[in-house]
Amino acid sequence: MNIIEIGGLTKKFGDFAAVDNMSLTLKEGEIFGFLGANGAGKSTTISMIASLLRPTKGEIKFLGKNIAKNAHFAKMNIGMVPQDLAIYEDMSAYENVRFFAGLYGFRGGELKARVEEALSFVGLGDKQKELPKNFSGGMKRRLNIACAIAHRPKLIIMDEPTVGIDPHSRNYILQSVKELNRMGCTILYTSHYMEEVEEICTRIAIVDHGKIIADGTKEQLKAIITDSKEIWIDVKSVEGLNQEQLKEIRGVLSVRIEEQRIKIQSRAEIGNLNDIVQQLIRDGMEIRAVEEQAPNLETVFLTLTGRNLRD
Amino acid sequence: MNTLHIAKKEIVTALRNKSTFIFMLAFPIALMLILGLALSNAFSGSVEIDDIKMAYKIDQASPALAAGWQSFADAAEESGVTIEALPPGQDGKQAVKEAQYAAYAEVSDQGIDFYDNSRSTIESNILQGMLTSFADRYNLVAAYANAGASSPASDAGQTSVQLVKTSSLTPDSKPNSMDYYAIAMTTMIALYAALSSASLIESERSRHTIVRLSAAPVSKTEIFAGKVLGGTVINAIFIVAVMLLSHFAFGANWGDHPGHVLLVLLTEVVMAVGFGLAAGMIFRNKASQSFLLIFIQIASFVGGAYFPVDDFGGFIGAISYYSPLRWNNSGVMQTVFGGDTSAALWAACYNLAGAAVLLAICMFLIRRRETI
Repeated sequence: MNIIEIGGLTKKFGDFAAVDNMSLTLKEGEIFGFLGANGAGKSTTISMIASLLRPTKGEIKFLGKNIAKNAHFAKMNIGMVPQDLAIYEDMSAYENVRFFAGLYGFRGGELKARVEEALSFVGLGDKQKELPKNFSGGMKRRLNIACAIAHRPKLIIMDEPTVGIDPHSRNYILQSVKELNRMGCTILYTSHYMEEVEEICTRIAIVDHGKIIADGTKEQLKAIITDSKEIWIDVKSVEGLNQEQLKEIRGVLSVRIEEQRIKIQSRAEIGNLNDIVQQLIRDGMEIRAVEEQAPNLETVFLTLTGRNLRD
Repeated sequence: MNTLHIAKKEIVTALRNKSTFIFMLAFPIALMLILGLALSNAFSGSVEIDDIKMAYKIDQASPALAAGWQSFADAAEESGVTIEALPPGQDGKQAVKEAQYAAYAEVSDQGIDFYDNSRSTIESNILQGMLTSFADRYNLVAAYANAGASSPASDAGQTSVQLVKTSSLTPDSKPNSMDYYAIAMTTMIALYAALSSASLIESERSRHTIVRLSAAPVSKTEIFAGKVLGGTVINAIFIVAVMLLSHFAFGANWGDHPGHVLLVLLTEVVMAVGFGLAAGMIFRNKASQSFLLIFIQIASFVGGAYFPVDDFGGFIGAISYYSPLRWNNSGVMQTVFGGDTSAALWAACYNLAGAAVLLAICMFLIRRRETI
């Protein structure tokens, strides 16, 4: 069953369309990745699903019911993990979760049980009485999640839940996302970290300029760009590199430089590696390593949008 | 239920905040102490009842009213207030302007016209309270007489003329500097509720918790009502604490009508909370704090928080009437020192009217926004 159905969704701020006639479905039980660069329209779409913003046009259905007309039902069943930490630093971890869970109508013993369950789930069961201002960044992120899951929502929207935390906490959160999914929650997950999306998402949509430009499993997305490949060449220094000459080599689609690494996207069927290496030698490059990359999500994203995810 | 849930959170977090205690409790008490004690000698508003003089003229009054007035004047004289019949040919209003008298009353069957000198706020408040009390009692007797019923006093064997008495001012109920500053600081700190209220909603925005609140099944009205209720209750707690502390620690006189005094102060708090919320929503963040701080300081200065405003004339004197502190101080002082509870009710009405307008502005702004 579809948990979310979006049809013809548009959100305009003045003349600017942040979301432009978007259509999308999320099935129950999915971990759905929402990929897009800053300003692509991800957060606006998420905000409309969470009833924080009203669409200019189009509709969103949650479990078959129009969200605009059934906001209370939708809100009762959706949990929101905002990108920015949304917790009270002057209230203990327990009080934070209790306050937000209390907004969903829980009281007394049931409220207490749900708060303890949520805190235990994110690994803060033994930190209940502590103030978040004494927490590490990762612990605050986990508390941010606990505040969103205590009412046991069917859909959890996670907007960049791992920003700025250590690898250990990130791993904990990713495992928690998987565990929540195993427990029956559908997850709508946005991230700037492509590897996270690849690791946990069962389906992915790429958003650009307010539209969904590709949607499918990661295998399906990678299959879109079977006609291109990426060549990574590590050099001692890129000083003196003539990018224009490289781009003129037959089959080369684009050239990017990341520190001492030259990333060349090329058409897959053309064997031009020898020409590329010769050109680099002519430019005085000292080559350290050459690697031909299989298409990954980053390549897909770059091919489809023409820019990096972190642009 | 969610309104109470949100209000409870506001109260609990405010009570944990040490700076709230310092600002809402220690600050007014310290000012009360400093101003009330250090300036007691220089405090011209420390009025001795013996110093108060009022002139009157009786014009076309019935014998009953004339007798009643005389009874009132005698009772007031016993308390030390000098009430003099205006010498023939003298202009009473001019005499008040020239500060020969604190007030002037023209008594007739059509009513009592009372003229006071705005430079003698405390004296005129006391006299106004005494006169209102007299008029209320006289009207009561007149109503009994018109209805042909026996008055309670007549039942006790007294004549109706004897009934027309004002309550005598007891020698102890003269306002000294501590009494004045207890009232002035309490009404001032009630207005300061605006400052903390400005961040009630805006702080949710800066902490990003507004996203969670808006994503929860809670209406914007419930969130707003919870904030108003929480802000009002927490400030009301501190106002009552200041009153009690000033009474028990400094012996400040809060009169015989504490319910009416509380009504004035609580309605002032509601108005201040509405004012703070509106300023917070219009100016956002620090700009609202600066605006409120400037407004409250000016309102406090011209409203009589730091010294009686009797000496103000001209422009400052004129704008002082627009300071919420002026009408609240006046309402409380007339109630405490003159026993005029109607003054408290008027002040409460002004406060509630102001609160209604300000809260309506807030609701209008909230409805225009997509998220609160």
